[in-house]
Amino acid sequence: MIAPYLVFVAVFVIGPLVYVAVLSTYRWNLLSPRPVEVGFRNYVYLWNSSVFRESVSNSLLLAIGMFVFSLPLGFFFAVLLNMKLRGTVIYRSILFSSYVIPLTASGLVFTLLLNTHDGLLNRVLEQFGLQPIDWLGSSHDALWSVLMVSVWQYVGYYMLIFLAGLQNVPESLLDACRVDGGSRWRTLWHVTLPCISPNVFFAIVVCLIQSFQTFDQVYVMTGGGPDNATSTLTYYLFNKGFQMVDIGPAAAASVVLLVILALLSFLQMSLGRRWVVDEF
Amino acid sequence: MQRVRVRRMAGHLILMVACGLCLIPLYWMLRSAVSTNGDIFSPSLQFFPSRLEWSNFAQAWRAEPFAIFFFNSFASNAAIVACQLVTSALAAYSLVFVEYRFKQAVFFVMLIGMMVPMQATFIPIYNLLSVVHLINTYGALILPFVGSAFGVFLLRQAFSAIPKEMVRAARVDGANEFYILWKIVLPNAKPALTTLLLLNFVYHYNALFWPLIATNSTNMRVIPVALSYFLSQDAGQGLQWNLMMAADVFSVVPVLLLFLVGQRYFVQGVASLSNKG
Repeated sequence: MIAPYLVFVAVFVIGPLVYVAVLSTYRWNLLSPRPVEVGFRNYVYLWNSSVFRESVSNSLLLAIGMFVFSLPLGFFFAVLLNMKLRGTVIYRSILFSSYVIPLTASGLVFTLLLNTHDGLLNRVLEQFGLQPIDWLGSSHDALWSVLMVSVWQYVGYYMLIFLAGLQNVPESLLDACRVDGGSRWRTLWHVTLPCISPNVFFAIVVCLIQSFQTFDQVYVMTGGGPDNATSTLTYYLFNKGFQMVDIGPAAAASVVLLVILALLSFLQMSLGRRWVVDEF
Repeated sequence: MQRVRVRRMAGHLILMVACGLCLIPLYWMLRSAVSTNGDIFSPSLQFFPSRLEWSNFAQAWRAEPFAIFFFNSFASNAAIVACQLVTSALAAYSLVFVEYRFKQAVFFVMLIGMMVPMQATFIPIYNLLSVVHLINTYGALILPFVGSAFGVFLLRQAFSAIPKEMVRAARVDGANEFYILWKIVLPNAKPALTTLLLLNFVYHYNALFWPLIATNSTNMRVIPVALSYFLSQDAGQGLQWNLMMAADVFSVVPVLLLFLVGQRYFVQGVASLSNKG
């Protein structure tokens, strides 16, 4: 009964995984009759390619940005929702709703919001007497714009992950702390966080993996520009493998992405066991 | 007690501001969809449109074959989710209720399935599907997603909560495995099945990357691909952002409706995954 699923994995996951690793040692543009073997030259090519290096570092920066902004924000919202205020369900729905919207659609709205001359954000900045910012056109700020969309899109998702954990923290434990005179912050740090450590860990890993797959908003908002300032690893893959049909380097870049994701998953499994406090 | 009240007030205040900020892009989408292009690019800040142009929706709908795009999206994603329900239920049943060797290995294979994103394997999958002449067909949109590791995980968790005695008793009575799955296990796992259906439908409805690669004719576009092309199509006619946003609005409506109707399933889906770690 497991057969249909295993067949699927074999054909659409494991097979392509092996094939992409093999392709990464060839040079091929699909037009030439047969691929030419080039050994590890594709990897050397990537190493020397400034576009590829920039794409990897952009992906890393996005991952760090998501880690720094969206995770603490999500946790903060979860703590607020867990105060069991009136209307919590409404707050929760609104904050989570951005997650179900297609990134393509939100990317387009943000393009309008971030328009240099007429966008809402710059208009608001002007009201405060600030200079308008060329959100999508300057290589300095464009990555921030991409990050802004990601944070808006995903913060509600992380919030739910944290909230699921917070609701499992035994009330008796928190009461015990209060009786012992523990301050709010100390309770949060020494009791609540360890209790929800599986959720924290899960959120971190999901956040990093999601960041490395950033594509949709880059595709509609900046097309990787200006000057590759917003090209991510996934965008590089798309551009190289699909638009330029330069299969060898694209396959090698796929392998790099896979190795990064494998490392992250390995981290999740091995460190997760050590850091995560299971019993309480 | 005074302090508790202050704290609760502050909580409300912060959450309201956060919700407000969160809704601005949605409001802006709606507001621009019913504005004239002049209002969108007027020299002064127009938070409300000066005139409501409801005809924008009809115009955007006619600008491109959106009926076909919606059909493509719904048909292909319904097929994807249906296949995922079948393969996931079978796999989860076998993992929970059937004894055999190599279960660890099977589980490991599942983890790999969960970890490998489409973006890393699209080249071989494209080659494979073009060899069998499926590129630019529904087959190309559906086949790479007929299995879902997330689905197997979710259903495995739900099935584990069902008492094994029920299954054993049915076996003693001579029921075959498919009958047990259909008549005993699935009826007891309805919330998880609904969660899987809703979450994965929305996920695939929103996906841009693979449909962008797997289809190349206008008639095969799904909604996200259509949106991503709308801008370049219109560029010649001076970027009609109001129509663009109108298209955005009706593209977003189906997923928002699904979310509003089934939101507790969404919440459950996220929670059950994360609490397992």
